[in-house]
Amino acid sequence: MADDPYSVLGVAKTASGADITKAYRKLAKKLHPDLNPGDKAAEEKFKQITAAYEIVGDEEKRGRYDRGEIDAGGQERPQQRYYREYAGGDEGARYRSTAGYEDIGAFSDLFGDLFGERGGARGGGAGGRRFPMRGQDAQYRLDVDFLDAVNGTKTRITLPDGGTLDVTIPPGVTDGQVLRLKGKGNPGMGEGGAGDALIEITVRPHAVFKREGDDILVEVPITLDEAVLGGKVEVATVTGRVFATVPPGSNTGQTLRLKGRGVKRGAASGDQLVRLSVVMPERLDDDLKAFAEKWRESHRYDPRRKLKEQA
Amino acid sequence: MLTERDVVQRVQHLTVTRLRVWVAQGWIKPADRAAQSYSEADLARAALICDLEDELGFAEEDVPVLLNLIDQIHGLRSQLTGLLDALEELPPDIRTVVKMRITRSGEGGRR
Repeated sequence: MADDPYSVLGVAKTASGADITKAYRKLAKKLHPDLNPGDKAAEEKFKQITAAYEIVGDEEKRGRYDRGEIDAGGQERPQQRYYREYAGGDEGARYRSTAGYEDIGAFSDLFGDLFGERGGARGGGAGGRRFPMRGQDAQYRLDVDFLDAVNGTKTRITLPDGGTLDVTIPPGVTDGQVLRLKGKGNPGMGEGGAGDALIEITVRPHAVFKREGDDILVEVPITLDEAVLGGKVEVATVTGRVFATVPPGSNTGQTLRLKGRGVKRGAASGDQLVRLSVVMPERLDDDLKAFAEKWRESHRYDPRRKLKEQA
Repeated sequence: MLTERDVVQRVQHLTVTRLRVWVAQGWIKPADRAAQSYSEADLARAALICDLEDELGFAEEDVPVLLNLIDQIHGLRSQLTGLLDALEELPPDIRTVVKMRITRSGEGGRR
């Protein structure tokens, strides 16, 4: 507060009254609290230039200051309640306008800044406050193979600064899940600890397996005779191949449940669901044709009966 | 609630004429127009207009431009606050995902 008012306003001691007013207005337009809602640093500077102008902007006070009769503290101006203090409240609602940013998509940068500030990343900036602050969380993305996501794995990320980070992927991690590694983010300030590393997982799709919650879905083709007579067929699971029993008379679309062969998460685990699909032989042979013709004579059946009733 | 007289007395450089012009221009909307009574927010707004014209030296025709921008900023801030409050109540993992999406759209989504 006690800074020399001329240097606060950036004018010479010999400046004319008009020049002082000009200098003050130029600064005040930039720093007025109502033109900078939410900016504490601007408010502090505005107070300084206003206090300085209180003295040297007034011919009489300026003379007294120059003669050393009053100091730079001058007299405190009565505290003004700025409009911004009300603008956010119920009373201000009458004046608030939302007309200018209906294209809200363009505001993502602004959101980013706001989140950044809340995270404490810019606390050491212009305001110069130096209280202890937790470091900012560092964010990474990691692509994981389907089977690694199901079974869990350990991997190493190379960071942009050349360092590395060992990451344990827990079994059953899902696409879009964020892993948090405590204290592996950016260093903090003062007593504040380091931030966390946040790793967003993207699971690569698999050619054969699909996932639904903790269940694994697989489609398995079977032959005509396997469908009729039943049998054991070899099926891939996320932990290796197993034999599944196809019951006699199985149909396309029918699903076998392999208990406990899904995603294991802690004590619980999902199942593997095997969807059967009956496939005709690649080449139709005379034996099968002859058999079908004979069989048809005495075993006619109509799988479309229900369909006809409904439509 | 404040009367017209209270407002004029409490704001430096304000006169009844100026205040009435501002109300007529729609720059100030008295909390209760019929009763000509004002709220503290109306008073602070009158002080702001005085600052703009007298202290900062803006011309009268600049004032509605500035008020319009200021009102937009407060509208935006209020909506942002609502949005951030809503986000704060979400579980940390979801907040992180939202934050990442925003950062990403900030990087790639410029039009």
